[in-house]
Amino acid sequence: MSSGDRVELLQGTLDLIVLRALATMGPLHAYALAARIEQVADQALSLNQGTLYPALVRLEQKGWIAGDWQRTENNREAKYYGITRAGRKALEAETARWRRLAGLVDKLLLGEQ
Amino acid sequence: MTLASLRRVVARLRALVSSSRADRELERELAAHVALAEEDFVRRGLPPAEARAAAERLVRPDRARELHRETRSFPWLEDLRRDVPYALRGLRRTPTFAAAAIVTLGLGLGAATAVFSVVHAVALEPLRYSPHSDRLVRLRAHLPADPVSGAPARSNFVLMTPADLEVVRERARLVSHVALISASVMGLAGHDDAARIGAVRASASVFPLLDTPPLAGRVLGRSDEANAADVVVIGHQLWQRYFAGDPAIVGREIELDSVLGVRARRPYTVAGVMPERFASGLTRQIWLPMPADGRGVLLARLAEGATPAAALAELDPIVRELGDHGPDVRYELAGEHDELVRPVRPALRMLSVAAGLLLLIACVNVTNLLLARGLARGHEMAMRRALGASRGRLVRQALAESTIVSAAAAALGVALAFAGVRLLHALVEREMRMDLVGQIAFPRLGEVAVDGPALAVAVGLAVLTGLLVGAIPALRASSATDVHDRTVTRGGRVQAGLAAAQVALATALLVAGGLVLSGFARLVGAETGYHAGGVVTFQVSLPADRYPDDRLLAFAETLAERLRGLPAVQAAAYANQLPLVALRDTAGGLWRTPDPARRGAPGGADARYVSHDYLGVLGVRVLEGRGLDRGDGAGKPRVLLVNRALAAREFAGESPVGQRVYVGRDTEPWTVVGVVDDVRQYALERPAEPQFFMDLRQWQGGMPLFPGGAYFALRTEAGVDALLPDIGAAVREIEPAASLFHVASMDQLVDQAISVPRLYVVVLALFAIVGLTLALVGLYGVLAYGVVQRHREIGVRMALGAARRQVVALILRDGWRMTAAGVAIGLVVAAAFARTLESLLYGVPPLDAVTYAVVAFGLGLVATLAAFVPARRATKIDPAITLRCE
Repeated sequence: MSSGDRVELLQGTLDLIVLRALATMGPLHAYALAARIEQVADQALSLNQGTLYPALVRLEQKGWIAGDWQRTENNREAKYYGITRAGRKALEAETARWRRLAGLVDKLLLGEQ
Repeated sequence: MTLASLRRVVARLRALVSSSRADRELERELAAHVALAEEDFVRRGLPPAEARAAAERLVRPDRARELHRETRSFPWLEDLRRDVPYALRGLRRTPTFAAAAIVTLGLGLGAATAVFSVVHAVALEPLRYSPHSDRLVRLRAHLPADPVSGAPARSNFVLMTPADLEVVRERARLVSHVALISASVMGLAGHDDAARIGAVRASASVFPLLDTPPLAGRVLGRSDEANAADVVVIGHQLWQRYFAGDPAIVGREIELDSVLGVRARRPYTVAGVMPERFASGLTRQIWLPMPADGRGVLLARLAEGATPAAALAELDPIVRELGDHGPDVRYELAGEHDELVRPVRPALRMLSVAAGLLLLIACVNVTNLLLARGLARGHEMAMRRALGASRGRLVRQALAESTIVSAAAAALGVALAFAGVRLLHALVEREMRMDLVGQIAFPRLGEVAVDGPALAVAVGLAVLTGLLVGAIPALRASSATDVHDRTVTRGGRVQAGLAAAQVALATALLVAGGLVLSGFARLVGAETGYHAGGVVTFQVSLPADRYPDDRLLAFAETLAERLRGLPAVQAAAYANQLPLVALRDTAGGLWRTPDPARRGAPGGADARYVSHDYLGVLGVRVLEGRGLDRGDGAGKPRVLLVNRALAAREFAGESPVGQRVYVGRDTEPWTVVGVVDDVRQYALERPAEPQFFMDLRQWQGGMPLFPGGAYFALRTEAGVDALLPDIGAAVREIEPAASLFHVASMDQLVDQAISVPRLYVVVLALFAIVGLTLALVGLYGVLAYGVVQRHREIGVRMALGAARRQVVALILRDGWRMTAAGVAIGLVVAAAFARTLESLLYGVPPLDAVTYAVVAFGLGLVATLAAFVPARRATKIDPAITLRCE
């Protein structure tokens, strides 16, 4: 995958994607989360794994995800993040908003033709 | 969403505080993350060392750390945590700059805080004697000028009887409470300095109207009023001063003399004591019930939601009918707070503007200082930009420095404000004598203090000035990008402009100060008509029950005789009032023709009853004819004197001496035997009133002889303190139960009359001098800096043959350019706004050419002197050295 095809992510959308991933997959640690996102996006995303951290900080500070130290199956320690109830509600609301925004942008950019 | 945002803010703050713990957590997580990635790479077949490297490349922990730190707390606050110590170190390295900046800004902030304290306490803070003080009003009537009697248009408070009050109370809906109040004077027996105390006779409804509970005991009630009971409610100040704050005063009896009207001494029972704040804006300390036949001013409290206009519309027909007033009388509901503050509003505005100007000068001055400092560090800034610092970061650092300076300046300013307020209390007499008019009072002076709101304003101003002052220098300094540019030639024009701005502001301040000073000089230099120096005055209070009017006269003459016998006393006289005493007595006015049915005319001439030597003691000149002498006693031909103003009005063109005149309804003629100089009876700034003088021995009766007590005047070289024991002894020798009070020299009384205008002059002069100094220092600074910048250019000039004086002229020209521009702008600005000072100028025109010219030339001169030092320094430059320097 050439870097030219990789899309840069806006700050707010990464938060949303992380929430969605956690909602679908259950608690994940940072490495697994990054892998999951790359998998779903089919390598089309330019995601430096370090850039996950600000998103995790924001979401944890807002109370939408909660972090907890657990052991992996290989008995390594890792910090698992799980979505909270407030997080689920926020995910719903933000997804709806994103859809409305995407639809509007679509209409504005393409409808003119 | 906002709950989440709030949670985030709290979490960020917590992370700010415990950042090391957050770091440790992060390290743990990153280590785990990298380990997991490494494990994966190993599983995919990479050798361990390569797997590790690949994991690091994938995770990029250093970038993660950066991003994490930025997101988890407030980056700018974290920066601040580093910027503040850095800025402090920088300031400590340049102590002169720091001191100059802090002192300069401190002066400006101090002035602003002090003036705000005054404005807040007097005009902004509601009166504290009632929780409803913003809805208290008094009824006023405006009467138009009367062409028949010659009386000018005037306004008075509407007087009503208790019966009228009931009518108003029943019919008015838009006022929730009404009451009658009547100002009075009483004497507290047994204390010399309590001979005259402000009192109020009020309907009992005044206490529910004001709604302030008593500190002890109770307030006056309806039964007190109905029974005309001899009860009083006393004020806090009186209670503390004369009864030592004794709570057992309630229920005790005190003896009060009624001073005005029928003189009597009666015991009154103290029903209650009012709290200290009850005196805010009021000076009355004794409250008595109003008798059924009394009259008072209507005081009302507007009902909730009622506007003054609506209430007035409702009251208008009611009051008009009750008072039988014609349609040309116009009513007004005057707000209590408003009335109190109105006379000093122009002065408050002037003080605020002056303080604002001073603060601006200080800000501009410090901006220039910071500019110079920033430019000197341009190289350092460029280096840091090259190393990756963002411009915003550099600007924030510079602002941190200026904010620290302004914070320190605020501390200094608050200290200065405290001192300033104390100076204010010292300069203005707080204990005003009740009998004097022309005291331009400063209301609520006792309440002025540097309190909460003032401190908040100080802090707010400090933050604002810190940002304002630092903004331009910060932006300019951070724009340096060329690392190799060591010459600092930019910024000269901005600095020059700022220096000129300082001069302009200082000019405006000086013009204002000059105008007010001229006005004050005119006030003080006014011809008073009498000679105030060497005259000691006092009053004597006698037991009311034992001294009817004719006995008063005998006492006065006996005392005067005894005082004449004192070695230090050259002459002694007495009268029913002194110059500057607020008693108006027309005795029916002076007329050329008799008329037994004459009605009193409001614009009539003022009558003065004096002892025969009174005019001599006060040094009033006789212009024509003769003064009063010993021969003009009782039973002798009735004679009187007129003053110049009265002579001009009634006897225009002819000499009044020898003419027959009539006083009031009396059909017996008086003969005018002399014309005397005009005596400025009331305020020094008002023109003299028409007056006539009669000898007390020819007093015809018909009205109280010495309302408020006889005034004695002594011609002496000795001071008040030296004479006091002798006067006291003489008084008590004749009447042991008498008390001596209001002892003061005429000079002191005049001084008190001008104490408030003098205050304005002092404050404005202080501000103007400080402003001028700052502007001059600023000018000097810019020129000196310019010399340093241009030392190579000057070196070249001198090497090419320029004479010393040409170099001096070069620098001086720069200085003149800035000064001229500043002065020109300053004069224009001052002229534009000078009209607002008019009421403080006592007749000096706001565009007084002399003042403006003096300020312009004076400033030009002083600025030249200030420019000389750097100019001379410029000539010391050795071209040989500068040309070799690189």
